[in-house]
Amino acid sequence: MSAWIATLHQTFIETGYWRQMLLGLQNTVYITLGALCIGVVVGALLAICKFFSEGNRALRPLELFCDLYTTIIRGIPMMVLLLVFFFVIFSGTRNKLGVCILAFGLNSAAYVAEVIRSGINAVDRGQMEAGRSLGMSKIQAMYKIVMPQAIRNILPAIGNELITLVKETSVAGYVGVMDLTKMGERAKSITFDAVNPLLVVALTYLIIVLGLTRLLKMAERRLNRDKR
Amino acid sequence: MISVKKLTKKFDDLVVLNNIDTEIEQGEVICIIGPSGSGKSTFLRCLNMLETPTSGQIIFEGNNLTDPKVDLNLHRQRMGMVFQQFNLFPHMTVLDNLTCAPIMLKKESREKAEQRGIDLLKRIGLADKAKAWPAQLSGGQKQRVAIVRALCMEPDVMLFDEPTSALDPEMVGEVLDVMKNLAKAGMTMVVVTHEMGFAREVSSRVLFLADGIIAEEGKPDQIFREPKTDRLKGFLAKVL
Repeated sequence: MSAWIATLHQTFIETGYWRQMLLGLQNTVYITLGALCIGVVVGALLAICKFFSEGNRALRPLELFCDLYTTIIRGIPMMVLLLVFFFVIFSGTRNKLGVCILAFGLNSAAYVAEVIRSGINAVDRGQMEAGRSLGMSKIQAMYKIVMPQAIRNILPAIGNELITLVKETSVAGYVGVMDLTKMGERAKSITFDAVNPLLVVALTYLIIVLGLTRLLKMAERRLNRDKR
Repeated sequence: MISVKKLTKKFDDLVVLNNIDTEIEQGEVICIIGPSGSGKSTFLRCLNMLETPTSGQIIFEGNNLTDPKVDLNLHRQRMGMVFQQFNLFPHMTVLDNLTCAPIMLKKESREKAEQRGIDLLKRIGLADKAKAWPAQLSGGQKQRVAIVRALCMEPDVMLFDEPTSALDPEMVGEVLDVMKNLAKAGMTMVVVTHEMGFAREVSSRVLFLADGIIAEEGKPDQIFREPKTDRLKGFLAKVL
């Protein structure tokens, strides 16, 4: 045990590499949070566009665009999408972190859109009708009646998406973004300690995911307080 | 108050309502009876345009609701509706269910809306449930709250879509009592129902819908004691 602690000390403290590891963690958090924001905003927009364009002939192109978007994004592996963003769309960019956030965000948006759409569809149709029968517009009933209930269906699935996202960002190293995984890899090659950097990286992801799971549980419990 | 003119509703090729004409006057309590699938609910839902008629007109207080230019939301505020499945908003307390529409749509103050909500809850004996969630109520209580929710908008007419069909038998009475009191107070009501006792006792006119048309209509005595058409005779023989 003490021999192991000595190795840890040697690998991270003596080399001063713990600072790089923290930097990597910071980048991973930035990418995740940034991508989550983009994902939720763009995803919600897509879902709402789809909701209002369904069955409305004038908005048919909008519906087609939303369908096309989710089909394309969901049909391409994240890794390939990232490479396309870096070497095709934004080739020669200096803001690697920004492009990375955008790529992960737009990827997430497709999944979030589907999650939100199915969450809205899962709310009983009678709820919208009850709102409309009182004189609410479609948007008012959506905002006041359907959405608050849909969020209950949506939140657990968004949580899943967030957890997937955290772990997916580990491929960011492929395009030279210094995320947690990349930093672990580098620590390995610099210190010749093949075990501990990866162990630390793996544990860090695990702790993040455990923390997120707890947060989500708490949020769910709050949202379900009327179901006691 | 409501004129229905040549109302036709088709679902694809299926004709549900076929060229229906009728007038609903202020203060009338109209019960709509008929075999299942005869278009009763569809007819009712056309009155406030929850279903869009295929052709024909609904004129409500002088406004043609089938005109695409008319502001439906405004007119719906004066037509309350009660659903078979209650459709209370499960994420709001009972009181919030009652006040959300008046506050949002009529810009009423919260105090005023809540005061009226509580007054109405008192009248149906549910004042102690103001802070309860819908999930904590029995079916009969839910439906009574749903009726009061519609009343909170102070509508000119109330539409009931089989309000007791989803209830356990012992809870039917409490809901019908609320509706009877409402009728006595002079509310204009259109009720789709299978409760023949209620139709007989409370309604001022009964419409018998069959095969997409009003096959027979008249005062309840006339409908139930002296049915003219074979269709109605056959129907009454089955349900009475």
